[in-house]
Amino acid sequence: MIKDSQLFQPFSEKPIRLMGDAGEWLGSFELNLDSDTLLKFYRDMLRARLFDERLLLLHRRGQVSFVAPSAGHEAAQVAVAAALKPKKDWVFPYYREPGLLLALGVPAVELFGQAMATRADPNRGRQMPAHPGSRDFNVFTVASVIASHLPPAVGTAISMKVRNTGEVVVASFGDGATSEGDFHAGLNFAGVQGAPIVFVCQNNRYAISVEYHKQTAAETIASKAEAYGLPGYLVDGMDVLACFFVMREAVARARQGFGPSLVEMQVYRLGPHSSADDDTRYRPVEEVETWKTRDPLARMHRFLAHRGLWSREEDLALRTEIEREFRQAVEDAQRAGAVPLEWMFEDVFAELPDHLREQRRDLL
Amino acid sequence: MGLATIVQTIAHTLDEEMRRDDRVVILGEDVGKRGGVFLATEALFQKYGPDRVIDTPLSEAAIIGAAVGMAVHGLRPVAEIQFADYIFPGFDQLVSQAAKLRYRSGGQFSAPMVIRMPAGGGVKGGHHHSQSPETHFVHTPGLKVVYPSTPHDTKGLLKTAIRDDDPVVFMEPKRLYRAIKEEVPEEDYCIEFGKAHLRRKGDDVVLVSYGATMAETLKAADALHEQGISAEVIDLRSLLPWDKTTVCRSVARVGRVVLVSEAPRMANFMSEVSATLTEEILDALLAPPIRVTGFDTPYPYAYDREYLPGPNRILKAVQKVLSY
Repeated sequence: MIKDSQLFQPFSEKPIRLMGDAGEWLGSFELNLDSDTLLKFYRDMLRARLFDERLLLLHRRGQVSFVAPSAGHEAAQVAVAAALKPKKDWVFPYYREPGLLLALGVPAVELFGQAMATRADPNRGRQMPAHPGSRDFNVFTVASVIASHLPPAVGTAISMKVRNTGEVVVASFGDGATSEGDFHAGLNFAGVQGAPIVFVCQNNRYAISVEYHKQTAAETIASKAEAYGLPGYLVDGMDVLACFFVMREAVARARQGFGPSLVEMQVYRLGPHSSADDDTRYRPVEEVETWKTRDPLARMHRFLAHRGLWSREEDLALRTEIEREFRQAVEDAQRAGAVPLEWMFEDVFAELPDHLREQRRDLL
Repeated sequence: MGLATIVQTIAHTLDEEMRRDDRVVILGEDVGKRGGVFLATEALFQKYGPDRVIDTPLSEAAIIGAAVGMAVHGLRPVAEIQFADYIFPGFDQLVSQAAKLRYRSGGQFSAPMVIRMPAGGGVKGGHHHSQSPETHFVHTPGLKVVYPSTPHDTKGLLKTAIRDDDPVVFMEPKRLYRAIKEEVPEEDYCIEFGKAHLRRKGDDVVLVSYGATMAETLKAADALHEQGISAEVIDLRSLLPWDKTTVCRSVARVGRVVLVSEAPRMANFMSEVSATLTEEILDALLAPPIRVTGFDTPYPYAYDREYLPGPNRILKAVQKVLSY
């Protein structure tokens, strides 16, 4: 197992950062990304932010039953998508990742369709909001049971390894997931097999209300990699460039056969856990306000403006464009119509067995 | 393949399926060099190598979860859980991932995989090597559940399981692993799920069972024969789907039925069979269906013989249904 990378050291004491609070470049190497790439990062982050805002609006109108806001996580999610080959590599996301799916190219209409359980949802309305999945984009359908997607993600990576397909898996999860047995089962087996997988922990310091230090006595999540024989990287998860460069290396190493890594992206959930949560019961408002000054979008905005790549006018125009896109996507998702009752009995098995045929007949 | 035991048939069938389809891989604890603690994967590691016969860490969650991910990516994994009792550390992967994947993804993803496990008591293994957890599986929509009782059926059902497009829990009667030797055909054959096997024809009472208790049920039928009572014996072979048609037809004709399963009585699979019979052919019943089952205690190490539904308890139940 190779534990070093070209640019970054695992197990650093401080999070890897490439962008300062004022948007200045901090890297020790030359930034070799073209402006289109940099602007795409920002665009994808803004789409994630506005997607959430649209969902919250739909929730207030009673059109969506549940929202898990991802504001604060956008840089981490967009960077993961940018480090992958969409439709070739696989992602096993958790429930708070619209930014990842949108940046991979999953159409917004499918995600709104999922949130509203209409026919626009390729998952056929089978789950509550925030549980999307897409076969077209190799996005494993989200399950609510925390960390339960990690052993399957490792299985997919082992399949890639034994068949030498050159594909890579990214499996992502929050800090709470690291306390589950499946986290251990997954990282341990992946390490033994040297499977091509990158584990990404979006550590937002709270599992609903339970704060980080009640979740683990370890200083960092990244340090847990050591015990599995993997490199663990500690990254400023609100710095899209740091997340991207670390992910790019981890993915390349996995693809080249050098095995898995664990990347901890330190983020902060700027909103409540969900539309059913009141976060003022467990964290001080001042803390939230402090973290808001590190907003990943604002920081990237400053970075781009600093380099003369972005203006307030361009920003307003982009917002208007995205909002128009999402309004249309919501309309399309609604127009697709409710899922029909007959679908209740389908997809339990590949073929409808007799007992379900009888139950369907009794109901319909 | 000539005369073979159940456990020899499993190894032989896995070999045939691995040769037929290179997507078939095996994973589990000790399945590699050791060939499985019961030798159900004997010689396969030497033949197919470590990429197709994967010794895993000691983690049922890793075994079942990884099998799900392999299946999603196009392999046909056959996972071994060393004893059915150890399904519980991997139970969430079975219930939350394998069973629900097709449904929750709207058919976009599926997990065609087999989870093999030796089950049942009578081997002096105490409660963590003797349980019969089949009710947990049939109560989980999305799983198919199979439980053969003979070498012949083991081959045909295991082939069907490996070729099936859904997750199949393949329970194996461990106390019969080496107890029965029979002629197993050389040719490639599959046995359809949901088709019971009529093991004996008879007119006075119907005995229904599956898995390891088929042996005791057949012994009871022999004893009844000596008393001049003719018993029809049905081996369900698969529990989900189960062959309602055959069971209802036999019981409707004979009118009396005894249902045998060694799992605990509460919500025993046979309770489902009994409920179905009373709902669907009540008029044809001459006596209430009687269950002969394990007891609602943890599996008791020191009382194997009393706990398991042996021929004597089955005969007692037959006397009861005949007394109506």
